[in-house]
Amino acid sequence: MTSPARPKQSRSLRLYARLLELYPPSFLQRHRAEMLQNFADLEEVAESKAKLWLLMGKDLAMSLMSHFFGSRLGHYVIAVLVTWMLIFAIGYFFYGPTPGRPALHAFAGFLPGMLAMYFATRLYGTPPNSISHFFRSRFDISVIGVFVAWILLFVIGYYFYDPTRGHPALQVFGGALLGMLAMYIATHVYGMP
Amino acid sequence: MSKSEPRLPLTPAVFHILLALFGEERHGYDIMQQVRADSEDAVKMGPGTLYGSLDRMIEVGLVAKGNTRDPRRIYYRLTALGQATLRAETERLSRVARVARRQLGTA
Repeated sequence: MTSPARPKQSRSLRLYARLLELYPPSFLQRHRAEMLQNFADLEEVAESKAKLWLLMGKDLAMSLMSHFFGSRLGHYVIAVLVTWMLIFAIGYFFYGPTPGRPALHAFAGFLPGMLAMYFATRLYGTPPNSISHFFRSRFDISVIGVFVAWILLFVIGYYFYDPTRGHPALQVFGGALLGMLAMYIATHVYGMP
Repeated sequence: MSKSEPRLPLTPAVFHILLALFGEERHGYDIMQQVRADSEDAVKMGPGTLYGSLDRMIEVGLVAKGNTRDPRRIYYRLTALGQATLRAETERLSRVARVARRQLGTA
């Protein structure tokens, strides 16, 4: 017996379905089917793929930010950013502008580091709300692998080029590592929104 | 927000969703299209914004799930509070527009 043929999904729809994984599971449970149906409807009447994805990109960014900053994890991220800015301002006030601006470079790495870890956790990991589950999943092992590789790169760079003021790449690397670590711990302590 | 009285002002997204649902149950895609038409293409809402707003509006009692049965779609409808809120916000916007016209000398 042959099963009824399912309508072929477009590449855009498959990509959108993958991007939906960035939303909280409880939200997806309620709306995933309808959101996919809406996307298919919008795709059918869209003048061009570019216009469709412009709308979807804006929609994803705005609604994901709204979900994220309304969660406990989002509040934690805001607190971390405010603390970072305070430390930066206090340091600037007391010590003046440090030549080479290492704090700024580290911050430039910290933000994408946090963001990368958040997306990786949303797409590949399901961290439980307990640090005791450490080492148990493939995701955790991958994260540790990335950390180790990052530290190795950092140490090698430091060894060959010294911690001189003229090496912003190393400072960005260090900041990214810190950002990833901060987000990794936060997702385990507060859980994903 | 209290479930008994309207809280103003509304965000443009919430106002347009209420307006789209006035007098008619609609599903998500239909709401998006109606919002676009009502705003003359000024408000283009995607599914993420729409369902995020609908969740919050259901939580505060402005909107409820509709009675229309369709296996593929969920329909939404305005509640009494949603209707009162829409009327109150429309009245508020009219007053603001009146003041603005007077200031600009276009009244």
